[in-house]
Amino acid sequence: MNVPADLFYTEEHEWVRLEGEVAVVGITDYAQHELGDVVYVELPQVGDHVTQSEPFGVVESVKAASDLFAPVSGEVIEINAALEDAPELVNNDPYGQGWMIKVRPSNWEAERANLLDAEAYRRLIEQE
Amino acid sequence: MSRRPLWVVDLGLIPYAEALQLQHTLVAAKKNVPDMPDVLLLQEHPPVITIGRNGNEENIVAPREVLERLGFQIFRVERGGDVTYHGPGQVVGYPILDLRRVPKPKDVGWFVWALQEALIRLLDEYGIRGERIHKVVGVWVRDHTGPALDASFDERTRASLAAAHARFSDRKIAAIGARIEEWISYHGFALNVNTNLHHFDFIVPCGLRDRGVTSMARELGHEVPLEEVKRRVAYHVGQVFDRKPVWRSRTALEYLCGAPAMRGR
Repeated sequence: MNVPADLFYTEEHEWVRLEGEVAVVGITDYAQHELGDVVYVELPQVGDHVTQSEPFGVVESVKAASDLFAPVSGEVIEINAALEDAPELVNNDPYGQGWMIKVRPSNWEAERANLLDAEAYRRLIEQE
Repeated sequence: MSRRPLWVVDLGLIPYAEALQLQHTLVAAKKNVPDMPDVLLLQEHPPVITIGRNGNEENIVAPREVLERLGFQIFRVERGGDVTYHGPGQVVGYPILDLRRVPKPKDVGWFVWALQEALIRLLDEYGIRGERIHKVVGVWVRDHTGPALDASFDERTRASLAAAHARFSDRKIAAIGARIEEWISYHGFALNVNTNLHHFDFIVPCGLRDRGVTSMARELGHEVPLEEVKRRVAYHVGQVFDRKPVWRSRTALEYLCGAPAMRGR
């Protein structure tokens, strides 16, 4: 299972990558594998505020529709519009083209402590 | 360690909208009260067609006027999956479980696998072999004995004909469509026990054109008492999720979650 070293993770199987002032958010390779083929992703709107550990959207796969949880708090500055027509990007490239939202983090320094690093996340999915 | 309880509530024949509202009440209550017991609602619905949140309306093939005249209701709901039919003779189960406290926590894939497992074990008790098919959720029955062939066919031809036969014999005996909010599950499964299978002709079940449907009665050649199936479903759902089924009345359930129906009394 692919767990890139340079990302932070949640126990809910989202990842976040800090690119300068912007946090990019998606779901992990493990999550997409467990969900199966993703058929629809419901995302917030640009300008919405998301809160760490709270749902920010819904991912629907052939198996079920379930919540997406925000790994950081902040304002949504961009959403991945490509997922509307090509939700399979989440399966094919979960850490790249399958990203979901970009957030301007409002409290990154404090919230980072609640996230898992790659090693801790790998341990989590291996015990599951 | 004793197993956590699973409240099993038999709602009998209940309109779809009423059961949906009860699910919403339960999910809201479970979000607020983490120690509220998990619940399995079991019921039959009067004829109804439901479409998942991203389902395709074109998969309802009968004209709306015809369906209305026949008394079919139509709902678009928040579960995953496409179009499905519920009606008398079908055991519909809504497991409202805290997926943070199941044997494999916070895992949507495992949750669906476990629902399939409970139904497969139930069917096995009746001598029906239920199976999973990759990428098409539900529980399926298929024929494994191919057509009788004379000695002129070689091994390879026999194998590919048997595979094709199995593929084209797929028929769905149980549908699964779930929703998970803050790790609380709702919606669930519909097992065809004595279902009128002609009612599926009004839709393309789950949007799959090339596969059929079946029921326990169709497979066995006789009807099966629904009450008995409900008891066994509750047992097997309890087993896979490591819960102890305890049967409760609807009144007790409404009291538990402070439903409006009770507050007024």
